[in-house]
This record gives sequence, structure tokens and C-alpha cells, in this order.
Amino acid sequence: MLTIIAENTGNSLHIITSQLAGAATTLGMKSQIICPNGIGADEAAMITGVTKVTSVLGDCFGVFDSTAWADAISSSIEEGVGIILASATPQGRELAAVIAAKRNIPIVQDAVALSPGIEVTRSIYSGKAVEKILVSGDCVITIRPNSFEAAINDNAAPINTVNNSSDVRVAVQEAMAKASERLDVSEADIIISGGRGMGSKDNFSYLEEIADALGAAVGASRAVVDEWGMPHTIQVGQTGKTVTPSLYIAVGISGAIQHLAGMRSSKYIVAINKDPDAPIFNVADYGIVASWEDALPVLKEELGKLS
Amino acid sequence: MNYEALDFYEVDSLLTDEERMVRDMVRDWVDEEVIPNIENACREGIFPDEWRVALGEMGVLGAPLKGYGCPGLSYTAYGVICRELERGDSGLRSFASVQGSLAMYPIWDFGSEAQKNYYLPKMATGEWVGCFGLTEPDYGSNPGDMITKAVDKGDHYLLNGAKMWITNGTIAEVAVVWAKLDGVIRGFIVEKNDPGFTAPEMKGKHSLKASVTSELVFQDCKIPKDRILPDVKGLRGPFSCLNNARYGISWGAIGSAQACFHSAKDYAMSRIQFDHPIASYQLVQNKLSWMLREITKAQLLAYHLGEKKDNGNWIPEHVSLAKMNNVDIALEIARVARDIHGANGILDEYPIMRHMANLESVKTYEGTHDIHNLIIGRHITGIQAFTREA
Amino acid sequence: MNIVVLLKQVPDTTAKISVVSGRINEDSVSKWSMSPYDEYALESALQLKESTNGSLIAITCGPDRCAKMLTDAAAVGADNLIHVVHEGYLDSMQIQSLLSSAINKVGADVVLCGKQAADTNSGSTGPGIAELIGAGCATHVSEVKYENGNFSAIRLNSSGSEKISMSVPCVFAFDKGLSELRRPNVRGIMMAKKKDITKLDAGELGVTVSESEVKLISHASPPEKAPGQKFEGASSIPTVVTKLRDEANVI
Repeated sequence: MLTIIAENTGNSLHIITSQLAGAATTLGMKSQIICPNGIGADEAAMITGVTKVTSVLGDCFGVFDSTAWADAISSSIEEGVGIILASATPQGRELAAVIAAKRNIPIVQDAVALSPGIEVTRSIYSGKAVEKILVSGDCVITIRPNSFEAAINDNAAPINTVNNSSDVRVAVQEAMAKASERLDVSEADIIISGGRGMGSKDNFSYLEEIADALGAAVGASRAVVDEWGMPHTIQVGQTGKTVTPSLYIAVGISGAIQHLAGMRSSKYIVAINKDPDAPIFNVADYGIVASWEDALPVLKEELGKLS
Repeated sequence: MNYEALDFYEVDSLLTDEERMVRDMVRDWVDEEVIPNIENACREGIFPDEWRVALGEMGVLGAPLKGYGCPGLSYTAYGVICRELERGDSGLRSFASVQGSLAMYPIWDFGSEAQKNYYLPKMATGEWVGCFGLTEPDYGSNPGDMITKAVDKGDHYLLNGAKMWITNGTIAEVAVVWAKLDGVIRGFIVEKNDPGFTAPEMKGKHSLKASVTSELVFQDCKIPKDRILPDVKGLRGPFSCLNNARYGISWGAIGSAQACFHSAKDYAMSRIQFDHPIASYQLVQNKLSWMLREITKAQLLAYHLGEKKDNGNWIPEHVSLAKMNNVDIALEIARVARDIHGANGILDEYPIMRHMANLESVKTYEGTHDIHNLIIGRHITGIQAFTREA
Repeated sequence: MNIVVLLKQVPDTTAKISVVSGRINEDSVSKWSMSPYDEYALESALQLKESTNGSLIAITCGPDRCAKMLTDAAAVGADNLIHVVHEGYLDSMQIQSLLSSAINKVGADVVLCGKQAADTNSGSTGPGIAELIGAGCATHVSEVKYENGNFSAIRLNSSGSEKISMSVPCVFAFDKGLSELRRPNVRGIMMAKKKDITKLDAGELGVTVSESEVKLISHASPPEKAPGQKFEGASSIPTVVTKLRDEANVI
């Protein structure tokens, strides 16, 4: 039997919670789910493999304060429960680390695979290596979203509600919206770049739409920066910036050596070019031979379907 | 393309913690502030004033000088600073060499207490830029026959003549000028606003474009009596300065060679021709291997010379050898690197031809290659072969 | 005011990581550096020191090679340097136990650290230590200020960010900060040379490091990427998008 700390998206249960239940099944264990602030308790009770849901209510859940939350939910973790699973989301990881320290047990973060033992697989050095560890005692494990199949809903576990608050040390003064300016190419995890094949500076607006959909930065080859007066800050290449995003989408860029020098260390490269012989296809993981006029609207539509 | 400085024999592992930290400080600054802006500075032919400010803030000007607000670092640290600056650009390193070794140093070694206290602190912060006036239009390798003259007029000196090829001249507040007073070479501190002194910039250079090169023109230039450097007469004065600068250059050239090597290696690994990277072809490997060999030798030469300078156990000929060798091989490395880059090597997308053109000047200034060669020849044989006269 | 910053020395993020016989080969690491998020924490700590006239204590836990990183911290202004010397692997409990004991030894009004180290990518140390020293905690902060007896910070959240305030003592774990870590200058470097590093071991901290229940089985390089795939026409895009989501996991 293990305990799952539920994750929510505003008012409902985050799908990762079902994935955590799926992970528990991988370990051959049933789970008890704790819902901070009671959010998602009804949905949690429907997940297969869950024996009990505990809804913890309290004033402290009004603002995210990991030490207060850990204190409030701690007593709801049953005696003798050695394994606690949580989501490897920013809040999930913080809360899980506090719980582990509170219970004096180790924590392993951001697991992508589990097997009985418990053998945990996770990535380290920002993905440059993979680690397999064996945890033989009690522990907290956070799990990366989408690493496990979500358990199906075919259950009606009992829901127990408790009131438990704790002193809050964090006060929110002001909520601030996300910065509207697009990310800089040197920081972005996804970049969509345009080259001469885009035809004109104005056509970059199509790239910007896709960038906004992906939360990506917009880059450009040297040719268009020099010839169309795009800002030098978005130039990727030998004399521009060297970038290492997880995904680099090169549109209408031939792939001359100077440009490659700036982006060839990207984790994954997608190339869209109407010339099947363009050298960029030699480095692309996924190459699409098509004009940008044909390709970009379809890409925008497909990305829209995902979110 | 993250910069990796070639250090095959791990000579940098011999650096003290302080020297290593100074290296990293300068290297990071060059990466962040110089590399992104140098090609533009070169195209425009300007030395960005922000660099003067940054060098002052980092505290690297006049590196080996002690006291009077100067850094007081080891000679090895000074060499490392020059190397890291020149990895960026020889013009940048020239600014620092002139400021520290040619303008601050003579005041530090030959100036009066009053002069040291007045000039050195502001030169160490970079607030006042200095330059060194020795070379003349007709007197380069033969400075001893210079014709710039100082005449004692009782309450002032009157300076007449012209100096040429003077780095920093147009932007300098302070010029250390060598002129003959009653036939004997003496050093004079000339200030920017002294009447009869102008420092026009020399335009049209194909080399050291991101550096200010000037003429110093003295037409009945009046300077106060307290501006003469009291403690030195004859060529000993300027030559001591030059030896310090030459020492820094022997390290600096390595930086330029390392930059060219790094670019050549990276290019050779990426450039595909006949379906293979050109780094897989024997002739290209031969070139890269030769570059590694020369850089390694140059590093050991410079490092050991730094040790000798710090121990006080050196003669000028030791410096001549290092300057001559290291600049010579750096220039050859730049040329071969250009060859490896193919046509791409002529674009300022790559730093190669900028380094190559710069090194042509570095090979000529601070004592030409041939002069240093003869300095060593004289040391071996005891016979000077510079002139026809005995 | 005592401002503590926790620093970790990691292989430089540009260094190649090589795996030999199922283990990361540390000997082949050419360059060791301060973990990048810790640099933001250090810069913020320096700004706090300047605004409060407080004392900045830099603490690290690791083998002998970590001492250089502390000297680098001194060169930019850290006042006191503590090196908890330990060779070898430590699990989350052990590292938090050692660091929190060191923190309690000096007493901290505020502790700053990076949100996760560049090697383990775990992010447990900040929140875990907050719990152990009885402090409040905020992670993913980009800025910390001290005003009127309280610490305030900008904390990132899923809808953007929020300004929060926390009472003392508190722990802040940094995401990318507003300012990059300042460059040292020669004067700082020369003064850092003279700065003593207080070395402590587990025994002196009253911590017993017994055998961990977390054991490394193996390290491996990530699986080779599949060779590039080429597709004809815009009609292939739905397939590619699916692959990007499921094969590559980048969207």
C-alpha cells in the first residue's frame, strides 16, 4: 500500500494523479490518495486500484506553502505506509521534498520508470545521462508526467474528509501575469526559425503565431537578419547565438554550415523546406519537404489540437 | 560553439589559484562582451570605449606593477591576461599592453614620487588612457637616431617632432614621449591639452582595426619642467618598457593562435565534402596536428619565461626569443587556419582573417621578427649584425 | 543578518559526460563549475548583503575539489566560507542533514540556493532543509528583497508569477534570476586568496552518515537517437506532430 499526493489543475484532478495510480500498479501496490484542499476527491475515488481517498481541508490551502501543506496532510498518511508518490511538477516536487524531510526518508525526484524492488529510472545532467537506482526502504518518489499510463476509472473508493490546517508562512502580495514578451532564443526550450525561404520579413508573422502556440522563441538565419533588417538578437548561427533547445524547427532555411554551427546541438531538429536537397535535411530528425505556405497552417492546426 | 582553449600539455594546471581566477574572469568577459561585438568594431574601425571601462573595472591594467593603485599581480598572471584578451583580438590586447607596459610602467619605474602618485592610480582604473611615443616616421627599428627634440627653455621644455604608429594616441590623456634633450634620449610626460600637441588618428589600416593608431605631432609643444622622467637616460628607458610589452605579447599571440585553432578544428569537423568531414582527410589532420604542436611549444616557452620574470632571473634576449617565436607561429597558424576554412575563411563570420591581419602588425611592432632574430644572433656570437658600422 | 547561500560544484554544463562501465566517469570531467541556478542564488545573496549590511556565508558539501568554488564565491564578496567535506555519494536525507547542521551552526535568517543542481536535477535540498531548520520555503523564485523585517520574492507559478512575502527564517530556491552573477575583479580575487575556508566533517557536525537505502545500480548514456526521417508534403505534418509528442517527447 502506498500513498499518492494528488495534483490538481485549479478545480479538478490533474491527469498525473491517475498516472501515479498507474505507477502504483506497476509496483503491484494499491494506493491511498490524499487530496490537499479536497480538490479532485470525487474523481480520485473513481480511479482503479485506489482503496481510500482522504480529503484534507484547511485554511492553509489558500496559498501554496509547502511546509504548511506538508504539516496539514502529514497525519493523513497512514502509519506503516512507506512509499509516497507525487507528481514531478514544480509544486509537487517541492511538497514531496518537504514531506520526505519531515518523515526522515529519502526522496527520488522525476522518475520516468519504476519496477518492483524499487528500481527507479531517471535522467540526470539535463538529459545527458540516465540513472537507475535501487531504493530498498521507505521513500518518496516523484514521477514525471506522461511517464505512466493513467489508471482507468472503474472504482468507488470511500472518501474521508478531515480538517487540518497549519501556520502559513507565505503571503501573496500580488499576482502578476505571464510576461507577454517572447522568450529569447538563448533561453527557449523550443525555437522556430526562418530563413530566406520565408520570402519576406512580413511572413515571419506566421512563425510568430506558431511560436506563441508553443511558447517558443523565434529565430532567424544571418541572411534574413542582414537583408531584411531583422534584429540581430534573434540571429542563430556562427556570428549569432548558439542555441541548445529541445526542439528546433527550421523553416525555409537551407542549412549552410554557418547556421548549423549555431543550432546543431539542438536535441531534436525539424526542417521544413521545399527543396528536397537542402543540406538542413542531413541534420534534421524529422524533415518535411513542403513549402512553408503549405506547411505552417497545417502545423498550426495540429498544434492547436494538442492543447 | 563554446570556446575551449587548446592546452594539450595542461600547462594551465601550473597556474596558481589566483592566476586561474584572473584567467577565468577575463575569458568570461571576452566571451560575453568582446566576441559578440568585435567583428562590428573591426568593420567600423573603432575601439569601443566600454572595453576601456571594463578593463579598468576588472583591475587588469598595469597588471604586474605594485603600489599606486596598481594590481600587483605576477608576471604569469599578466601573461594570462594578455593571452585571454588576444584570443578576442590583438587590438584589444594592444590597448592593454600599451596602457600597462608602455605608459604606466615607465612612470612606475623611472618617474618621481609625485608623478607616480599623480598618474598611476587614474591609469590603473582606465580613467586616463596612456600611450608611448618612441617610433617616428623615419625611425622604427633604429630608434636611437630619432629626431624628436626637447629643448630646455628655463621654465619649460619645448618639444618638436612627430611620432607615428602610436596605439591609443588619439584617445590618450597621457603620452610618455621619448625625445633627445641635448642629444640624450629622455622620457617626457605629455598631456593631451599641452599647447602644440595634437594626436590625429591614422586611418586606412587593414590590421588592428579595432584599435586606435595615431600620430603624435609636437609643434613647439610647451611642457612644464616637472614632466621629465628623472631616473632614466638613453635607450635603456624605452627598451625596458618594450621588454615588458614584448613579454605580454609572447603570451598574447598564443591566445590568437588558440582562437584560430579552435575555429579551424570546429570547421573541419563540420564541413562535409565528398561525403566526409574534411577533418577525416590526412592533409587537414597534418595541419591541425602541426598547429597543436606549435601552440604547445609556445605555451611552454611563455610559461617558463613567466617563471623567470617572476624570479627576476631573465635577460632581454629571453623575451626576444618568446616574442619572435610565438608571434611567428601564430601568424602561420592563422594562415593555415584560413586555408582550412576554405572560402568561408575570408568572411568575418569567422575570426580567422581578422587574427591573420592583426598578427601582421604584431609581427612587426615591438621589435620586428628580424630584429629579434638578430638580438639572439648577437647574444650567441657577441657580434651585432644590425648595421653596417661596427 | 546572516545570509546563507548553498552552493554545489558540478561538471560544467558544457562538459561532455562520459559513461564508462555503467558509471559516470568523473575523472574525465574537464571543468567543474558552480551549478548555474546556484549562481543566481549567490548574486541575489550578494545584493541582500549589500542592502542589509549583513554577513554572507557560503556553504558547500563535497570532496576537496569544491574548495575552489568557495574561493570563487569569496572573490565576488562572500564573507565566510564553510566546506562540509565528504567524499562519495550522499542521498537526499544525508545531504540535507549535513547542510542543515552546518546552517544551524552559523544561524541563518535566510537561506538561498538554486532550485536544482545541474547534475542530479532533483531540487529536494532547498525545501528539505527548510523543513529541517524550521523555516518557510519558496521555490522557483527569480528575485528576493528584504523590506521592513520581511523577505519578499517573485515566485513563478503556472499562470505567471506572484509577489510573496515570508517571515524569517526562510529558504528561497532560485530559478533564473533577474541578474546574472557578477564578475569578480582583481582586488576581489586577491582578497579571496587570503580567505580561510572552515572545513567541517560529519562528525564535527554531529551527523552520522550510515549506509543509505538508496543505491546506484548504473549510469548509462541516453539511447541513441533514431536516424532522421524525411516526409513528403504538408500532409505528413500530423504524423510528425504525433511523433514529436510521443517519440521525441518535446511537445
